[in-house]
Amino acid sequence: MKLYEHEALGAIFKKYKIPVPRYVFATEMTDAVQQFVEKEAGVVVKSMVLVGKRGKAGAVKVVSDKTKVAEVVKDLATREVYGEKSIGALVEEKLDIEKEFYLSVTYSTKDRAPAIIFSEHGGMDVEEIDPKLIHTHIIQDVRSVYPYQIRQFLAGIGFSDKELLRPLSEVIVNIYNAFVGAECRLLEINPLVVARSGDKRKIVAADAVVILDDDASVNPAVVYGARSAQGRPMTQREQDAVLIDQGDHRGKAGSYVELDGDIAMMTFGGGGSTVTAETAIEAGLRIANLTDIGGNPPAEKMYRISRIILSKPGLKGVLVCGGTASNTRIDVTLGEGLAKALDDMNAEGKLDKNLVWVVRRSGPEYVKGLKMLHECFVRNGIRGEIYDSQLPITEAPIRLKELMIKHIGYKPEQVV
Amino acid sequence: MKGTVYLNDKTGVVVIGATGREASQVIKESEALYPGIVKAGITPGKGGSTELPVPVFDTLAEAVSDPKVGKLLNTALIYVPPVSVLDAVMECLDNGIKVLYIITEHVPIRDSEIIYQEKVRRGAIIVGGTSLGCFVPSVGRIGAIGGKDPSVAFRDGGIVVISKSGGLTVTTAEMFKRRGWGTYMALAIGGDIISNTTYSDVLKEIKGDPKVKGVVMLGEPGGSYEEQVADLITSGGFDKPVAAFISGRFQERMPEGVAFGHAGAIVERGMGKATDKISRLEAAGKKYPVKVAFYYHDLVKAIESLGVPRDFEDSTAEHVKPLYSTI
Repeated sequence: MKLYEHEALGAIFKKYKIPVPRYVFATEMTDAVQQFVEKEAGVVVKSMVLVGKRGKAGAVKVVSDKTKVAEVVKDLATREVYGEKSIGALVEEKLDIEKEFYLSVTYSTKDRAPAIIFSEHGGMDVEEIDPKLIHTHIIQDVRSVYPYQIRQFLAGIGFSDKELLRPLSEVIVNIYNAFVGAECRLLEINPLVVARSGDKRKIVAADAVVILDDDASVNPAVVYGARSAQGRPMTQREQDAVLIDQGDHRGKAGSYVELDGDIAMMTFGGGGSTVTAETAIEAGLRIANLTDIGGNPPAEKMYRISRIILSKPGLKGVLVCGGTASNTRIDVTLGEGLAKALDDMNAEGKLDKNLVWVVRRSGPEYVKGLKMLHECFVRNGIRGEIYDSQLPITEAPIRLKELMIKHIGYKPEQVV
Repeated sequence: MKGTVYLNDKTGVVVIGATGREASQVIKESEALYPGIVKAGITPGKGGSTELPVPVFDTLAEAVSDPKVGKLLNTALIYVPPVSVLDAVMECLDNGIKVLYIITEHVPIRDSEIIYQEKVRRGAIIVGGTSLGCFVPSVGRIGAIGGKDPSVAFRDGGIVVISKSGGLTVTTAEMFKRRGWGTYMALAIGGDIISNTTYSDVLKEIKGDPKVKGVVMLGEPGGSYEEQVADLITSGGFDKPVAAFISGRFQERMPEGVAFGHAGAIVERGMGKATDKISRLEAAGKKYPVKVAFYYHDLVKAIESLGVPRDFEDSTAEHVKPLYSTI
């Protein structure tokens, strides 16, 4: 889970003694912000969004004229950055910057170890830095890193500013300790600056990108509140779906995500769901929603998620697709849960009979379950085909496309 | 020895967290299907319990010194909650167990990293986290892989299936079985960022095994474990046919997510994305017997075109008819 910059500064950088500029977080111009601004020679105002490359979008502004601060804060605290709504603004002390470094810590799967990535040429997008000027230090023992090791690394890459060797190595160890201690997947500071303060020089983190491990020993969603991985607020149906799994650990049916298409996808099992969605998109189907169901959910959960999936406006087709389940009962999930949702929606006049369906599923009690679903299709006038595992799993979306072209004149996306 | 280092006729399994809901079900199912592979279970506080078809001990130290089963234990199957996995792994390593499966999902990455470093230090084999286990039809199985009726998907043959996804491991074995190829071994390695057993690790272990006729690998975006296969093959480290399918191309066309941010992309420039993995493997395929399937179901064609012989007859008709049609 990605943190907003002000969250990273307040919760992690402070605890691990990573030096940061003086700052205040603001959703609007208040007296406290005004007082903060009065004490500074100039300030930097940043939109608080999760999306990257804020500077290029004009969402980071240096303000020297104090009469303009209120206006800038109001703008950056509320504007949209690459489609993401800002939740506030960070108002920071303007630093007297001498140099800008790039620094990040993440896991390298090549070495299966944490890696410290450093460049003396920070400040720009890391993708724009010449790869020859980016250096990687692999952590051999995850449990202990000492500043001398970092100094050896810096000396080894020809780090030019000897006076900074000790302070920089100590800051980098603090950053590494924050990465490990806070259980991050990524901790990136770009730029890590050398700032002048009177006749002294100090190292300051002028940015903070923190992605926490979703599986950390303390769940970040509990600490910071759940947030959509897509950088947008959850839709009403997505929020409704989350409730399905709350307070009932039997199976998982609530991981529902909406997109802009016209095909509803009810898929089962992580890997199977991914390849099915993949094939659907490659075949030119436009996906309206994705739900990954697993772990033998009871009929009640299937009933609720089925109604949510089918209530999205603009649907033209439905794919119900999963492999050969080990535990999930096909009679319970499809024969009872899904079928009852269809019966009720039809009775309420909410079932679109123009939808084209393809079902592909196997597993415990699948013969019974698929027969029950077929009977449901017949009594409600639902059009489609039902397969077991004789049809390779990823041929199901292709079959759906063929049926939709033939029966409702569906025009698939042209995929390059 | 019949089988592989991961599962063979000498394998004796101790289940850590044995009396939990999932673990006890797996032990009962496995004992019914392949009696004798699971030898003991560990649950602190449940020592001496008779609720399972195998003896239960409070600690692994007691189990390995037990006169009846102690000497037979060489493989651990870990079913404890995520935050207890590191503890369970250390208990196994400190008690001399050299092959471990971590079935638990959502192991904290930091713990996975500590586990990996310990594994290397001690020369152990660890599969997972998020493994579903291992299936060797000529020997049996470890874990829940294949469910109650594994014969639907598994029949002895020459294909090795290696997959990050557990469910797809079985689905793939079943797809091949319908078309005439049996499984020599199916191993669900799990998709964790720090993976204790990677595709390349497996290929290095099985490269000299004459029973292996071809490999099917199922990859996912993130990390560089699929790319490492391309490197291994092009450096001459594995020379048997490999058919690969990499899922996740579509994620690259979706809104920016956090699943694999540019972090990985920086450390591992030109790696991590599905398209990067595909192009690396395709490049290896110009000189070596490697094929990447565009669609998942094209894996069958890929194995066929690589010349991997069928183990038995193709049982599927060219066009599969639906069980039911209402259109």
